[in-house]
Amino acid sequence: MGAVENFTRGLFKENPVFRLLLGMCPTLAVTTEAVNGLGMGLATTFVLICSNAVVSLLRNVIPAKVRIPCFIVIIATFVTIVDLVMNAYLHDMHKTLGVFIPLIVVNCVILGRAEAFASRNNPLGSLLDGLGMGLGFTGSLMLLGSVRELFGNGTIFGASIFGGGYNPVIVMILPPGAFITLGILLAIINRLASAKRAS
Amino acid sequence: MKDISRMVLVLATVCLAAALGLSKIYDMTKAPIAEAMRQEKLSAIKAVLPAYDNQPDVDAVDSGGATYYIGMNEGTVNGVAFEVSSMQGYAGLITAMVGVTPAGDVTGVRVLSHAETPGLGAKFTGEEYLSMFKGKNLSAAKWAVKKDGGDFDQITGATISPRALVGAVKAGLEGFSRAASSLGIVKGGE
Amino acid sequence: MSRTFFITSSPHVNDGDSIFRIMWSVVGALLPATLWGFYLFGMPAVRVTLFTVAAAVLAEAAANKMRGRADTTLDGSAVLTGLLLALNLPPSAPWWLCVFGGAAAILLGKQVFGGLGHNPFNPALVARVLLLVSFPAFMTDWAVDAGYLADAVSSATVLGEAKTFLMTPALGALPDVDYLDLFIGFRAGCIGEVSPLLLLAGAAYLYWRRIITIDIPLAFIATVFVITTAAWGFAPEKYLNPMAHLMTGGLMIGALFMATDMVTSPLNTKGRWIFGLGCGLLTAVIRLWGGYPEGVSFSILLMNACVPLIDRYTKPRKFGLAAPAKGGG
Repeated sequence: MGAVENFTRGLFKENPVFRLLLGMCPTLAVTTEAVNGLGMGLATTFVLICSNAVVSLLRNVIPAKVRIPCFIVIIATFVTIVDLVMNAYLHDMHKTLGVFIPLIVVNCVILGRAEAFASRNNPLGSLLDGLGMGLGFTGSLMLLGSVRELFGNGTIFGASIFGGGYNPVIVMILPPGAFITLGILLAIINRLASAKRAS
Repeated sequence: MKDISRMVLVLATVCLAAALGLSKIYDMTKAPIAEAMRQEKLSAIKAVLPAYDNQPDVDAVDSGGATYYIGMNEGTVNGVAFEVSSMQGYAGLITAMVGVTPAGDVTGVRVLSHAETPGLGAKFTGEEYLSMFKGKNLSAAKWAVKKDGGDFDQITGATISPRALVGAVKAGLEGFSRAASSLGIVKGGE
Repeated sequence: MSRTFFITSSPHVNDGDSIFRIMWSVVGALLPATLWGFYLFGMPAVRVTLFTVAAAVLAEAAANKMRGRADTTLDGSAVLTGLLLALNLPPSAPWWLCVFGGAAAILLGKQVFGGLGHNPFNPALVARVLLLVSFPAFMTDWAVDAGYLADAVSSATVLGEAKTFLMTPALGALPDVDYLDLFIGFRAGCIGEVSPLLLLAGAAYLYWRRIITIDIPLAFIATVFVITTAAWGFAPEKYLNPMAHLMTGGLMIGALFMATDMVTSPLNTKGRWIFGLGCGLLTAVIRLWGGYPEGVSFSILLMNACVPLIDRYTKPRKFGLAAPAKGGG
């Protein structure tokens, strides 16, 4: 498997949100605005890259029987770092994302990549895999956040799209809107994927 | 036996390294986090007080269970800010920062946190609605929404949230007028 | 449609029922209440109904086309869904809200699940709740500026008033209501929910035609009555009179026409009693202690979600077989 493949896999073909359906908790919970999706995605990307790299470096040292506790400790450490640093320097974003920053620990994408990829591949490959998966995750969250913000608030990244006379569909920025949007986007993407496969 | 000791050793080392790293990061971010929290409070105070040149959160006075942030311009007190809250809202706690002149006229209100219905009760966080409080004081206004015979607008379709906010501001103002004498000590600077 | 021949053992009885007949019968049963709404609220109500029904029918046609299915727009189910939704909208609803709701009812409420018969939730209620949380200001604006009721009633509903009084103890005791007016249907509210009298008449026709059964409405309404009576008995100055609870809000239209939807209610009598009981319980809890003044829509949707579970536990014993041993497995 080449380095390019390691990187691009997470972007589309094995996109964590739309193809693997992993990390649903932050996907649904924080995507009320595009900028929140971006913030959450980048925080996750950072954790993913670091944990993938460290897990890969230690893959021959960590005994198989205690690998999961080791992975979790490593992941939790990086999550705590993100939590502290964001609180200090991106205070408003940290306040908006709230409890979902510490909850990155339980994001299945991260443990999934540590277990399925980083623990079996070299550090460079794992780093690229983490970057690709992280950016794929970020892109998905931003897409979801943009759609929800557009219909639920008439804006994207805070910039007004529909103008002042628009009556926002408030359900879109409430929890049900997350499920509805994810469902519709998944349907569209599955449709595109099957059309591509057929051709 | 060798197997187990290796497991223990690796896990303990990983944990130890994590703990050491985190304690370092914690030390590094401690001051910036405290500063960020302070700025957050200051920005709310700044929004409701007239221009000041001191540090209201340092020149704060506790009285009657509330904290009064004193704003001063060139040594004279020109505004006091305090937090009010209400449980009478539609959904959970509403907290707001209120600014008043030393005489008790409202200079501004900011909603800090609430859980009212988005698009309905939540409209009371807008500048358009909150500017209504400006210049009002305890004696010259009827502190109730219009529906209850007061001077304050409700929001179409939502009376409960504005009613709770108006009530909270009123209670805050009453607390302020009771505490005003003890705050008077601060007047003119320390 | 291709003709299919079924081979089964006799005897064969054909009762002549079809989707077409059932759906149009229910539409017919709703007509008196609909016309009453038009009379009370005037042209705006007519407009709301037309837009909603048209949007529902068009969405049905479009979805059928997209899914490559036979056209089902004439079987009446889309018309019925649109009508039920319209009857649950305030007469002042703007046209785009009606179009959004009608389309959402069919597409999100029904077609995404696979069409009529596959939807777990009542499509009209899905759309109504979607609209209620999306556009709360429009959905709770009861102002009427045309028709018989023009300027005659305050812009608040009885339940809305009651909730305001409940949440603000300082306001004192509840104002009185005229029960006869409520029963005939002189009040503000959604287009089709205001007249218990006409809704009961429509439901009686459906009962006589054996399209609906009596168990769900009875359990539903009785449960609401019992709980609100208990609350009212404890604190009559705080809680609304149980009779008013029965006659206001969406209870009648909900219990008689929406909870009884064949697709989204349990299969057998015991299940339907449980279903009605649950609906009534949730409605009463939301009305008395919840954030919203009205809870009929929410409670029916929540109980819709429980239907598969209810059906599973109320499965009738096969004839001739012994009851399964307890703790079997």
